[in-house]
Amino acid sequence: MILRTKLMLVGLLFLNISLFAQDTRVLTGTVSDADDFTLIGVNILVTGTSRGTSTDFDGNYELEVSTGDVLQFSYTGYVSQTITVGNQTELNVTLAGDAAVLEEVVVVGYGSRKKSDITGAVSSVKSEELNAFPVLDAAQALQGRAAGVVVQSNNGGEPGAPINIKIRGNTSISANSSPLIVVDGFVGATMPQANDIASMEVLKDASATAIYGSRGSNGVILVTTKKGKSGRLSIELNSTYATQNTANELDLLNADEFADYQNQIRANNGISTPYPQGPADTDWQDLIYQSGNTQNHQLSLSGGSDKVNFYASGNFFDQQGIVVNSGFERATFLSNIDAQVNDKFKLGLNLFGSRGTKDGVTTQSDGSVTVGGDDVISLAMRFAPDKPVQDEDGNFTTNDVIGDEVDNPFAVATQRVDETVTDNFRANVYANYDILKNLSFKTTFGLSSENVSRGVYQPSSLQITASAVGGRASVVNTKRTSVLSENYLTYTKEIGKGALTLLGGYSYQKNKNEAFAAAGTGFLSDAFSYYALSTATGLLQPASSLSETEIQSQFGRLNYDYDNRYLVTATVRRDGASNFAANNKYAVFPSAALGWKISNEDFLIDNETISSLKLRVSYGVTGNPSISPYQSLARFASLYASRNGQTVFAITPDQPANPDLKWESSYQTNIGVDLGLIDNRVNLSVDYYNIDTKDLILGNNGIPEYFGFQNDEILTNLGEINNRGFEISLNTKNIVKGDFRWSTDFNLSANKNEVAALINDADLFGNAAPSYFSHDRSYVLRVGEEVGLFWGYEYSGVYQGGDLPAGTQTLTGGVAGDPLFVDTDGNGEITEADRTIIGNPNPDFTFGFTNNFTYKNFDLNIFFQGAQGGDIFNMTNVQLNNGDANTTRDYFNNAWTPTNTDTDQPRVGNNSNREISSRFVEDGSYIRLKNIALGYNLPTATVEKLGIGGIRLSVSAQNLLTITDYSGLDPEVNYFGASGDNNTSSNTVQGFDFGNYPTVKSFNFSLNVQF
Amino acid sequence: MQNLKYLILLVGFAMVGCSDLVEEPVGLLAPDGFFKSTDDIQTAVDGSFTHAINEKFWGRKLSIALMLRSDMVDLASNETRRVENNEFTTLASNGMISEFWPKTYQGIAAANQAIAGAENVDVAEELKNPVTAQAYFIRAFYYFHLVRLFGDVPYIDAPIADAAAAASISKTPAAEVYQNIISDLEYAKTWLPNTQSSRAIPAKSAASSYLALVHLTMGNYDQAFAEAKEVIDNAATYDLALEPDFQVLFDANQIDGSKEPIFALDYNNVEAPNNAYDQIAPMTGIRGDDRNSGGGWSVAVPTLEVYTTWPAGDYRRAVSLDEEVSIGGTQVSFTNFDISGHQFAKNNPYIAKYTRFPGPFARGNARATSHNYSMIRYAEVLLIAAEAAVELNDNASATNYINQVRARARSGGSWNDTEPSAVPADITGTVTVDDVLEERRYELAFECKRWYDIVRRRIGDEVFSASGLEGEKEFFTADDYLLPLPADELERNPNLTQNPGY
Repeated sequence: MILRTKLMLVGLLFLNISLFAQDTRVLTGTVSDADDFTLIGVNILVTGTSRGTSTDFDGNYELEVSTGDVLQFSYTGYVSQTITVGNQTELNVTLAGDAAVLEEVVVVGYGSRKKSDITGAVSSVKSEELNAFPVLDAAQALQGRAAGVVVQSNNGGEPGAPINIKIRGNTSISANSSPLIVVDGFVGATMPQANDIASMEVLKDASATAIYGSRGSNGVILVTTKKGKSGRLSIELNSTYATQNTANELDLLNADEFADYQNQIRANNGISTPYPQGPADTDWQDLIYQSGNTQNHQLSLSGGSDKVNFYASGNFFDQQGIVVNSGFERATFLSNIDAQVNDKFKLGLNLFGSRGTKDGVTTQSDGSVTVGGDDVISLAMRFAPDKPVQDEDGNFTTNDVIGDEVDNPFAVATQRVDETVTDNFRANVYANYDILKNLSFKTTFGLSSENVSRGVYQPSSLQITASAVGGRASVVNTKRTSVLSENYLTYTKEIGKGALTLLGGYSYQKNKNEAFAAAGTGFLSDAFSYYALSTATGLLQPASSLSETEIQSQFGRLNYDYDNRYLVTATVRRDGASNFAANNKYAVFPSAALGWKISNEDFLIDNETISSLKLRVSYGVTGNPSISPYQSLARFASLYASRNGQTVFAITPDQPANPDLKWESSYQTNIGVDLGLIDNRVNLSVDYYNIDTKDLILGNNGIPEYFGFQNDEILTNLGEINNRGFEISLNTKNIVKGDFRWSTDFNLSANKNEVAALINDADLFGNAAPSYFSHDRSYVLRVGEEVGLFWGYEYSGVYQGGDLPAGTQTLTGGVAGDPLFVDTDGNGEITEADRTIIGNPNPDFTFGFTNNFTYKNFDLNIFFQGAQGGDIFNMTNVQLNNGDANTTRDYFNNAWTPTNTDTDQPRVGNNSNREISSRFVEDGSYIRLKNIALGYNLPTATVEKLGIGGIRLSVSAQNLLTITDYSGLDPEVNYFGASGDNNTSSNTVQGFDFGNYPTVKSFNFSLNVQF
Repeated sequence: MQNLKYLILLVGFAMVGCSDLVEEPVGLLAPDGFFKSTDDIQTAVDGSFTHAINEKFWGRKLSIALMLRSDMVDLASNETRRVENNEFTTLASNGMISEFWPKTYQGIAAANQAIAGAENVDVAEELKNPVTAQAYFIRAFYYFHLVRLFGDVPYIDAPIADAAAAASISKTPAAEVYQNIISDLEYAKTWLPNTQSSRAIPAKSAASSYLALVHLTMGNYDQAFAEAKEVIDNAATYDLALEPDFQVLFDANQIDGSKEPIFALDYNNVEAPNNAYDQIAPMTGIRGDDRNSGGGWSVAVPTLEVYTTWPAGDYRRAVSLDEEVSIGGTQVSFTNFDISGHQFAKNNPYIAKYTRFPGPFARGNARATSHNYSMIRYAEVLLIAAEAAVELNDNASATNYINQVRARARSGGSWNDTEPSAVPADITGTVTVDDVLEERRYELAFECKRWYDIVRRRIGDEVFSASGLEGEKEFFTADDYLLPLPADELERNPNLTQNPGY
């Protein structure tokens, strides 16, 4: 031992001497690809040292070398080259595309595969696409980028609104349909900042997702964050600034027109008293909208030696919303460190933290607030325009003449305080140990916590909402923590022409949610906001809760590749979960897939045109852990009781134990073809899938009432849903010529959804209308139909007086000018039985279309995205045409009058009373220019004078143009409905428009500097 | 060596987790481990009792159905569910039955939970049984309503453990249900104390009084007499007496101080969620009445004959009926009650027992009163003893007991400063069953007792004939003595059979 150390020391000395002895010089050169296109960011490392660099924006590099140094040039997707330095001072290198794209490595659950060896349906989205324009949530950047993935904000352009992702349609009715998010192996993690993401993989079919078992049926999004590269320290600054405006406002009546409108309504209803017109002419929409802006700054550092590398970044995002008082601010940090401790042992650490602060303005309401109104955007549309903002006494005005008594929208937007602070922290450590040459063990241990604190204060200046009670404050805190341990072995073995990879592991995760809420009314001063609950004169009931879930799993996977022609993948996962019911604690989810690389067969291998062709087939079962914690346990309900004149709490049986309740299972078949033509300049992937989801959990009120439970519904696994569809993605390099390149990415997905079974196959109805609409049904689930079809009367124009057109009726007491409806059952009156399916919100297909042009230092990105065929139910118009609110010029000018009979709009003040009918169903198809971006890389010569590695400037615009027939503000609607809230996404409430925060039009300037 | 260190480190990482996956909820009301003390039993008992005050039970649906089916209360409404009960055209889909059927069973389920839970409470019998006895009592109370309303019913006496088995049981014969009721009441009588802090908590006298009524209903006159006599003979021990002023019994401000109620419902003074409050007062109130913030809804209204056939000198008539009120600022007699202009306003005296003194907590229309209505009171026990004595040919006892009740009715009282009156005179000759039934009709008028009297004495043909108080009820048949089971319940358990005639 001692001898060896001495020898080493001597060796080192010798090496040093020899280093000194050699004269170093600067080597320069350019790295390009086979088409002479320069490559940016190629990693160059002097092997055996930590010296290195990477190519700049022009593909140039310079590096201090000595003769005999061995340089390694490496770049993702290209074959690495190793060159020994001779005497030259210039070394230009051409890297060969390693069967270009197909050799990309794709992250899959618990490992990675070469893209060409993938047998499942997996879409990859690269960093460049995620960062084509600034987004608050990286999930937004997925929209239109991956076939089969539908992304929608829960509330349009609201800063900080939750983003809802659906992969391959709705696979449930009552359970969550959102995919599982896995960040660097941490299951159920918060999405990192888009700038920090190296790639996102969307796992869609069962072959890819079954390794995630009971959490796999909604698809899985695997996020890989950026890692440091060996070589020189790289510092990167990204700064963007954007200005934003609402894309659209409704054209509403002014004060005089409004008075005229109200007087016509009064006349139509036989009221002679004129409308008492107010003193003002207020454009409420102008008052609540403003010009918003977004800024985002990120600084990242990365680098490392050949043993240790790191990536660290800090990010600051700030958005002022386009509705006054709405905004979002967030600071994020992320760091990844990997260390090769010795030749067998590798350690790594991922850290992530963020704090987001949302200043909310409630723009949507479930309508249950019977006094006051809390939905600013819909209030701005319906509030009387003849009212001033404040009355003579300086009090905010209220809607006290017509319609519901509500505070004015400006008051609600500016006076109400609603702040949500979200803190996220995650730490994940891993260790990888190569037990044998072909057997390695990896263990990861992670912790994550999320604290959300929301405070709301309604000051007494809100006349209706809070004046009488002297202000109302509430504070809600929730804390979520998760502990995850995953441990698995990977074994690889070459057997003749075959290559075998085996994976087996064990995983344990524990999640804990705690919540606390307190509220009070009647405060000494509005200045206290929600920070002085102790001074409340009226304390409302506080609440606290705890829920814990544990999931422990075993999983395994086999990959077998024979002769680079035949591929087999088989996976299985066994999940046990505490929230599963007593008799079904464990679930097994198997899958299998076959791949055939036809292009590697003798008859195609020399084909000039077909450079790659692969056929993929898979089948498997995945689950949706649709049982909430404690849901299958017997429960008591609490009741108010009186005892000796005192109110006491009492209990009564609420629900029986449900020990047989099961998770929902999806049985998915996937058939796919990947085709590459002309040296893979054209890549086409087509997938067909069929997903039968069974055991859907539905409430069944079939338990006898003599059981005596409060809750007459018992959950049963009785529903079934089918989703089937096509996904096409086509990437082409249209022109690759010298300095000019043009490539196109196109993807299209068509999903057909069908309810296959319900309890007794009886229709299930639901209501999405705000509760003050007083409707109980606005959508239906019917066996054989798609989910969430609109339900109401079939509108058939305006009654002109005299005989009713055959098969139609008016509502009771209809006169000329009133709406006519189809009398479906022919009983001579319009009743509940005449309601029918009046629209389908599910689009026929959605698509994304991107063109990238590069010329010298310029690049241009044009991205269209759209949906075809989904209907929208325009609930905004239901409210605005009802007479007890302001209305659109379009309706007022076109409404039926005795002199304007040739119209399909009923008279003002008609008898329809916010009916749900096909009159308000519109085509929601649209094409949107989601992004257009022009970028410019400053010439290296210029930049070098500043001592900077590279500078990139870009300008872009988002949502500049939308082509649609929809008359509302935005075809990407998402009203959450009567029983919803901003944080949940429903599978059944779709396509309703009512006071959504509109999508914003945004102009954006970005600067990227590399040092 | 070095690698061994790493291996140990790895194993350390991997050691996390390994669970039996059993859920242990904290802060949630789950039956497992809930029952630890007598207070926990009481909490479940309170749950059972509070179902009774609900709008779906005594708060409106059952009480009004019982009134409408009797000959003492007619209907001023065209709501189908009410018409069906008033006119004996009741369907299995009736909207009142579909409400009080589940609510009664919810009360039973809570009582069953208390009784089962008590077994897990490791406390001496002397301490816990008096609490559990309340659950036995209230379970008997609920089943006694069910068996009189429906006859044979599903009988559940434990928390549902096997849902599939319980979902296919058959009805238990009425006779067996009665035996179970008696056994529950006997248990209650054994363990309940002589007195409680409130009449809304059952004492020994409540169990005995109900035993007397159950035996009377079953025709076990000697047991009925013995139980009633025991209550009467121990009136001092049980702190019971007739209330001198009949009006006090129907005054929310005074009733809690009276010695007459034996078991009462504890009405909340809050408009609790889930309709857990009283609505009898609005249902029986006069439209446009200037009292009670908006008057009543004028739904359950006696016919004029109820008033005209009631001897004028009987103080109970003045307490039980409103002959004159102020409507829209005008003091009017009942002949002008229709000045309110409401389509269902009747020119009859209206029920006054609920609307006259609903107490300080009553909300609009006298909703959500804090009026603890008597379910059984001392006067009824006297009348049970009298009726049983008649059947046992003990005329001396019968006369003694019935005349105590009649005497109070002649002694006047606070309402309109009524002077004592000689009418109706004491009974001096032989007391008959009809005499007692008639006395019950007046004494317990509108207290939802009359329908059960009609059923147990099978006097429907007589009281619903043309000479009855409401004139001929043409659709009445003997099948109407029992209500139909809810139609959807029969769908949920096809082994349940419908009562004849439905």
